[in-house]
Formats: sequence, structure tokens, C-alpha cells
Amino acid sequence: MYKVVIGLEVHCELTTKTKNFSSAPNEFSDYPNEHVATVDLGLPGILPVANKEACRKALLTAMALHCKTPDEVIFDRKNYFYADLPKGYQITQNTKPMGIDGYLDIMVDGHVKRVDIHDLHLEEDTASLEHFPKYSLIDYNRSGVPLIEIVTEPCLSSADEAVTFFEDLRDVFLFLGVSEAKSNYGQMRCDVNISLMEEGAKELGTKVEMKNINATQSIRAAIEYEIERQSELLSKGEKVIQETRRIGLDGKTYSMREKVDALDYKYFIEPNIPSTPITDDFIYELKQELPELKLDRYLKYIEEYKMSEYDAGVLSKERSISDYFEEVLSYDTDISLAVNFVTSTVLGTLNKLEITLEEFPITPKMLSGVIKLVHEGKISLDHARKILYQAIEEKKDPVELIEKQNLHQIDDESELLELITGIMEENKEIVRQYVEDGNMGAINFFIGQTMKKSNRQANPNKSKDIIIKELERRKK
Amino acid sequence: MIEKEKLKKYAGLLMFDMDEEEYTTLQEEFDTLLKQMDLIGQIDGIDGVEPMTFPFKNTDVSLREDEVGDYLTVGEVLANAKHQVSDQVKVPRVVEEGEE
Amino acid sequence: MYRGKSITELREELDKGSITKEELFSHANTLAHSFQEDYNSFVTIIDKPKFKERESLVSGIPYALKDNFSTSGILTTGSSNILKDYIPVYDATVYKKLKNAGAVLVGKTVLDELAMGGTGTTGHTGVVKNPWDKTRMIGGSSAGSAAAVSLGIVPFSIGSDTGDSVRKPAAFGGVVGFKPTYGRISRYGLFAFASSLDHVALFTRNVKDAAIVTDIIKGQDPMDMVTLKDDGKKYADTLDEDIKGKKLFYIKEICSKEFYKDYLDEELESVLDQFQELVQKCRDLGFVVEEVSMDQKLLEAIYPTYMCISCAEATSNNANLTGIQFGPRGEGDSIEQIMFDARTKGFSELIKRRFILGSYILQKENQEKLFKNAGRVRRMIVDKITEFFKEYDGMILPASGGIAPEFTATSEKVEKLSPRYLILENHLAIGNFGGFPSITLPYGFVKDMPIGVNITGRIKEDDLVLNMAHKIESVTGLKDQYCKVGDIDV
Repeated sequence: MYKVVIGLEVHCELTTKTKNFSSAPNEFSDYPNEHVATVDLGLPGILPVANKEACRKALLTAMALHCKTPDEVIFDRKNYFYADLPKGYQITQNTKPMGIDGYLDIMVDGHVKRVDIHDLHLEEDTASLEHFPKYSLIDYNRSGVPLIEIVTEPCLSSADEAVTFFEDLRDVFLFLGVSEAKSNYGQMRCDVNISLMEEGAKELGTKVEMKNINATQSIRAAIEYEIERQSELLSKGEKVIQETRRIGLDGKTYSMREKVDALDYKYFIEPNIPSTPITDDFIYELKQELPELKLDRYLKYIEEYKMSEYDAGVLSKERSISDYFEEVLSYDTDISLAVNFVTSTVLGTLNKLEITLEEFPITPKMLSGVIKLVHEGKISLDHARKILYQAIEEKKDPVELIEKQNLHQIDDESELLELITGIMEENKEIVRQYVEDGNMGAINFFIGQTMKKSNRQANPNKSKDIIIKELERRKK
Repeated sequence: MIEKEKLKKYAGLLMFDMDEEEYTTLQEEFDTLLKQMDLIGQIDGIDGVEPMTFPFKNTDVSLREDEVGDYLTVGEVLANAKHQVSDQVKVPRVVEEGEE
Repeated sequence: MYRGKSITELREELDKGSITKEELFSHANTLAHSFQEDYNSFVTIIDKPKFKERESLVSGIPYALKDNFSTSGILTTGSSNILKDYIPVYDATVYKKLKNAGAVLVGKTVLDELAMGGTGTTGHTGVVKNPWDKTRMIGGSSAGSAAAVSLGIVPFSIGSDTGDSVRKPAAFGGVVGFKPTYGRISRYGLFAFASSLDHVALFTRNVKDAAIVTDIIKGQDPMDMVTLKDDGKKYADTLDEDIKGKKLFYIKEICSKEFYKDYLDEELESVLDQFQELVQKCRDLGFVVEEVSMDQKLLEAIYPTYMCISCAEATSNNANLTGIQFGPRGEGDSIEQIMFDARTKGFSELIKRRFILGSYILQKENQEKLFKNAGRVRRMIVDKITEFFKEYDGMILPASGGIAPEFTATSEKVEKLSPRYLILENHLAIGNFGGFPSITLPYGFVKDMPIGVNITGRIKEDDLVLNMAHKIESVTGLKDQYCKVGDIDV
């Protein structure tokens, strides 16, 4: 058995209105070369102008990953020639990345594992190439799209860990709202470095790099295949070659090129983007914005709120739902009722109607109002649900609906008496059972009937009083 | 003196080639510049200095607000591209190494 | 009567209606064509101009633009084969501003290929000649822009200045060359040579015109992050401010004959003598002028430092020139081959050599000793000059150690390690290292060829530099000078 050492380099496109260094739209387009500014095409005379929002989102992500942040924003040029790189260099960060020395805790097999992050830097995406048998076509729409790259230390030791990290990182992006992180759009992709070493060895084994993997199942397949391939080589006493491999559709990996000597990217500071100080105020502002991440919430739900692992999982999975749930709680709402209502009524409705939480008409405040009434015994659980569905359908405030019913409530005793005596006339047998056999169940029966006949508008307490009085009176 | 072969390799990495005698001229230029830079390395106090990138500290800098501005039409993007197909720039098939 | 007239004079005539802008353009166009064969100022001469009715001091005034400024719909080559057919789709900010002010473009001028050079001999359409003597260079890289103003074709032209590319040819052509503070004028649309040193600069025939043009083209530009907030000043309005008591310094190690020994030829001696005469005239004007001393090693470091930084940035800045999205397409079966072919054919050898130097300087193993050390010396030089500026308002120095070189001189090996070459011919780069505003104006003649003096001031004090230069101009007797060669007047 060999020890597996894996490091990931994860790329993620940021959600912004414009590109990283030009004001062309950063928007997916089916039509080629539609969202291209002079800067994105690398025309002679162009100058990059750094996007504040991209910097902000990159910094926010760095902070969420517990990285140290720099005192200024500066960029570097990474120089190389490639068909998809119109300027002949990529603007990235080498001297002062947006974050260094961070970590992300992930949960693997019920244990928390800390994944160390070497750095997070902000850069620009390349143009996209489409290959045909005889030629390739270049579309510059993607050129200049803001991209963050997160480089882990070689600290992952299995496909499970790598995949969990990748997926949890996606959740971080989603929780922060910095990216939609859709793998199928190539918004999130990953390079995997993997090497095997003898148990107890001091030096890392020969590193194999696999580039540009989008889907989690491919990450898993590639790693599992490589572990097998490299183990076999090593056990035969053969050497693993340092190289770049690509993953085929069959889940196997294929050699792309041997690394003769690493390409020298001749990094230097981008002279057209003057250093911009990152103030303490700005960092403080970002800190205020920083949400609690998924795993922290999950653990809090279990440890502090005493929720089941299942419920904690459901309620921490998505930021919007978790935020909704926590806002419901913020009104001093009973936790178990809140869990019940959010997981069943709210999530159920979202699924059924195929809508998002933003389109959901019941605010956390409204829901907490309803829950409070249930908790105080003023309405039944069942009634509360019905009211909620009605509120969703009519897009109304459920508490107002309840109040409205209370406003129309029949409080007038003579009116109630008339109604109740009428019902008793129609149900003489039940009256008899009470009067003669002492069947106490009759009370509830008449309350139910009264509510039904009055369209739930009869004052339940007063009705109950009258019903008992009337029944007793008939005893005599 | 830097060998010509190295210089040729550097030229290749920059995607061009030169005439043979140009490499000789370049060798001499290298020789002169490297000698001058040796002298620079000996200037008193140079070690403690932070290399300068910008002519002076610019305090007027602000990052760009994230609002869509001017950009090119598809026609403008392609105006100078010599080869194009379906509104994209056409180049010989880009083959990833090791790919068949 | 158009040739050789200043912006101010032409403005007056336009305003009183004694001449129309159409006539002005037609004169400029005629002159441009008549001098083209002999001097080769232009890559493109505009024959069908677009006039705009605008209220500005330069409205209706003809001008020329270096062919490394992006002009939408007008061929822009950077004087390189790699862009010989490139027609931009966008306007440089400077061009846009001049267009909006109603100035009329007469042509795009020849430069040293991609602005890398100081001779005016490496443009893809041929050599630019010095109007004062056709056997001599005008200098570069803004060669055509210098020649066009020196010949009296246009009253002003736009160039770019990375080491001295406007201020040196201005001296050789006997005209004014002004490079404002780094960031004063937007570089958007200027083909980058070395971004941390590149400045937009201009040629005129008097200091007032330089101020007028700067007033039009300066200002913060959202397309160029290094541009400064507008200072809200009109430089043309403060040219006559009193300069009494303003302090200038010159550097002993540059201006004193004793440092040249064997190199002190007749030319250099005359340059330095006339410089001292001018210094005396400045004192008479009320300036305090003093000699300071500076570490000769630092001064000798200017040239190699400039080479390291500029070549390094240039190799990266020109990596977009691959013939893929613009420029002539190379031949070949693979993407590498077509890039390789386009670049091999597209660049001249001199450019390629600089790219290789630059790339070597940036290599990981050489960065510390070459690129970073160059950055360190740059800071040391700038710090030293800034220290002088605490006491002095400006630095005054001869722009060159001699007159414009003869074309044959390039083949004769200039001894590059000589103190004369290293310091006297390269000190103008200090203005680029620190982004200082810097102006060259004619102050005399040697062997019937013009020589120039340079005044450099504190960053952001463009107004003071122009103000001081304006005063000095009044005692040179060379205001509005142009070369009357050709016996043509229109």
C-alpha cells in the first residue's frame, strides 16, 4: 500500500456584471464574439482596468477560506504564447495573491478534515477554442472573465477527500454568492496533482498532473485510475514519469506530455494597474458580510440546536434556505417547530411549485408569527398548515389571515346560542348520550359542528362555554 | 558569453527566428549589458532597495465600478482577422500534445 | 502664408476669418506631400479630412499623430511590418480628445519600429531625415512627428516618449518637445512599448503652444488606471508667472568638461559652453542656478537600467503581435508555425534582439540580478532627483552631448561604455524613471545644427515646468523656429 498525496488547483469564474479588466459584459452567450472589448482581444494600445467587484469577491472568498489577505491589490503578468491567450500574457497574481495560508474544513466519513490552502489568486479566463478536424475556431467571449484559482497544499489523501473538498468549495462559492459555479458551463474546473509514496517515506513521489476536469465524477475516476496505475508501476519497481495526463471519456487517463523543464512564465508586476491599498475599513466591511459556512452551520444545528443529522444536513445545504431558517429562529421561535415547518411546509412547497425561496411569499417573520400561535396553543398545527397553504396561494400574510378570521369571529352570545341550539336540535341522539350516558365526547362533537357551521368563525371558547351550559341545562 | 544555441532557444520561445549574424550581434549586446549590470550590482546600498515598478506612488487610483460600458460589435472583433468562419477566428487545428 | 506659423498665430487668423480651416488643411497637406520624398515624415498622409465645428484653441488647426496611436478606420502600423495592414476599430483617447476639440489630422507619422529605437531609421517605410541636414538623423523614436513640426508642415504633433523619444528628436530638430507628468495624459490607444515608462508627449515650436495642446489632451481617463485626477489648471494661463527666485540645478558630472577628457571634441565643448552661457542668461532672468553633484555610478547606470526595464516590458507588451486576431497571417500548418512565421517576418532584427534581451532579463534565474536590480537602481536614481527637488524647482541640462548624428555614425561603433554615451546621451530617461514633467527647447546651434536644453521638474508641477521653460525661451531667441529648407511656402 502506498500513501496517496493529492493537491488540487480549482478554478472558478466569478459572477460579475463585467469582465475582470474590461467593461464588456461577463455573461454567458450562445453567440460567439459578442461580449468582447478592445482589452479582451489584446488589440494594440489597450490597457487593463481592474474590476472592483471581482477584487471584492476574490477577497471575500479568501477571507471565508481563512486566508491572510494582502495590504494592496496588485497583479502580475504570466507570459506565454497560446491560441486562446490574445495578449500573449495572462493577468494574474503572483506577488501578492488575494489570500495565502488558509484552510477549509470538510467532513469526510463523519470526521472533520482540515484542507490547507496555499493561496487564492484572481486572474482572467482565456478565450475558448472549438476544435474541428481541420481547424480550430476562437471565440473571445470568455476572454477576460474574472477567475479565481485556489491552490491547496498537497494534503488530500483519497478520491473521497478530493471530491468532498471540490464539492464543499462549490458550496462556499454558492454561500458567498461569488459564483454560480456550474461545472457543466465550465465555470468551475480543477487540475489534480497526484503522487504516491511509500508509507513512512519522507519525500513526495513523482507528481502527475491532470488538467481541466469539470465534473466531480471525473475527478473521482481520474484519481482512482491514477492510484491504481501508479501503484502497479511502483509495485513492479518501475518509475512514475512526471507528466501531464488527460482524462478520457472512459475514465482512464492518457499521457499528454512529459515535463522536460517547467515553462518559465517570466512573471512581473503588471505596470498598468497601480497598486490599490486595501484598507482596514474595507476588510472590516467584508468581515461583516462574511456568512457562516455550511459545515459551521451543520455542526451548530446538531450541537446547539440539537437537530438530527438529517435535518441539519437539509437545512445547511443551501445558503438561502439556511438563512431563511435562521431568520425564522431570530424571532425567538421554537426550534423544533421551525425545523418542522421549514423542512416540510416551506421546502415541500418550493419543490411542488418549483419556485425558489425568493419567489416564496411567506417571509421568515410571517412564518415565525404562525409558529408562535401554534406554540401558544392558539391554533392547531393542522390549522396552521392550512392557513399557510392558503397564504401561499393567495400571496397573503398568514398571520393576517388568522387575525381576519378572528375579526369575523362570532362573539355575540345570543347569536352563538341560536346556532348551537339549532345544532342540538339536529343531533338529539348526541345530546341524549351526554344527558343520559354521560358521554363527554359530545362536547367536542358540538364544538366541531359549531366551528363547521360557522365557517370556523364562532369564538371557540365562548362556544364551548355555551355548549356545556346548554347540555347541563338539558340534564335537569 | 552566452552560447548562440541558448539564444536561439530563447528566440524560439518568443516565436521567431533571426539571421545567423544577428545572433552574433546579440551575443555582443548581451556581453555589454551584462557587464554594465554587473557594475550596477556593486552600487552601494542597492541590496536594501525595493525594486520600483511605478514611477511614483499614485494616490488617485480607483478600481473600476462593475458597470457594463463600451465594447465591440462582432464585426469589429473580426475586422482584422484574416481567417474566419461563423463569426470566429479560424486557425489551424490546435492539437494538444499527446492527442491523436 | 501658413508654413511655420504657431497655433496662436493660426488661431488668430482663423478667428478673424483671413483663412479657413479648409485652406489650412490644404496647405498642410501640400507641404506634407512635398516633403515626403526627401524626409519621409509620414506613413499615411490624410487627403480627405473630417472637419468638426468646435470651440477650442486648436479647432481647425492641422496636426500630425505618431503612427503608434490607435485611429479608428485609419491605418496604424507602429512602423512595423507586423502591423502593416492593421486598421484599428477604436480611437486612442488622445486622438479622440483632439478630434473633439476640432483639430484636423494631417497624417500618421513614421517612428522607429514599435517605438523601440532612437534613430528614426528603423520604420518599415524607411528612414526619416533631419530637415536641417539630410545626411543626419532627426532622432527617434518619434522621428516623423519631430520632422513634421521642424519642417513647418504642422504647428504641433503628438509623439510618445519612453526614454527620450520626443525630447531628444526635439533637440535634434530644433523644436520644443514636452512630456508631462506620468499619468497626466491617457495612454489608452498608444501601442505599448514599456508601460511603466511610456508617456504621451508632443512637439510644438514654442512653449505656449505646448501648454495649449497639453491643456486639450490632459485629464483622467477611466481607460487608463495610471492617469491622475485632473488638476483643473490651464497651463497656457500661467506661463507668465514670475519666476524670480525659482531654483534650478544642473549636475556637475554631466555638464562639467573635466569629466570627458579624451571624449571632449569640438561639438561637445560647444554644447557645454553654450549651456553655461544659457545658465548665465537664466540667472539674469532671476533664476537661481546651482551646480550639484551626483554619484557617477548611478548616472552611468541610467542606460543599462533603461535597457533592462524597457526590453523586459516590451517583450511582454508585444506578445499580442502574432498575426492571429490582427496583422498579416503567417504561413504554416500549425498554430505555432503561423505565429512563428508572422513574427519572424514581421519584426526587424533590432526589435527581435531587444525582445530576447528582455525575455532573458525576466527569466526566473536572472530576474533578481537583472530586472529587480534595474528596478532598484531606478528607485535610487528617482529618490536622489526627488531629494534635489526638495530644494530646487527644476533640473536644467543639455538634452544631448552633440548635434544630430550622421546616418553613417550608426555603423561606426559608438563606444557604449564611455561616460559620454552612458550619461550625456541617456540622462533624459530620468524623466521617464520618475514620471517627471520634462521639456526640451532649442537654445543654440553647433555646426549649423540645432541643439536643445532640457528642463525637468517635480511630478505634477507641469505648470511650473512650462512657466520656467517659457521664461527661458524668451532669452534663447529661438522661439517659433523651424527649418526653412525646401523654399516652399504656402
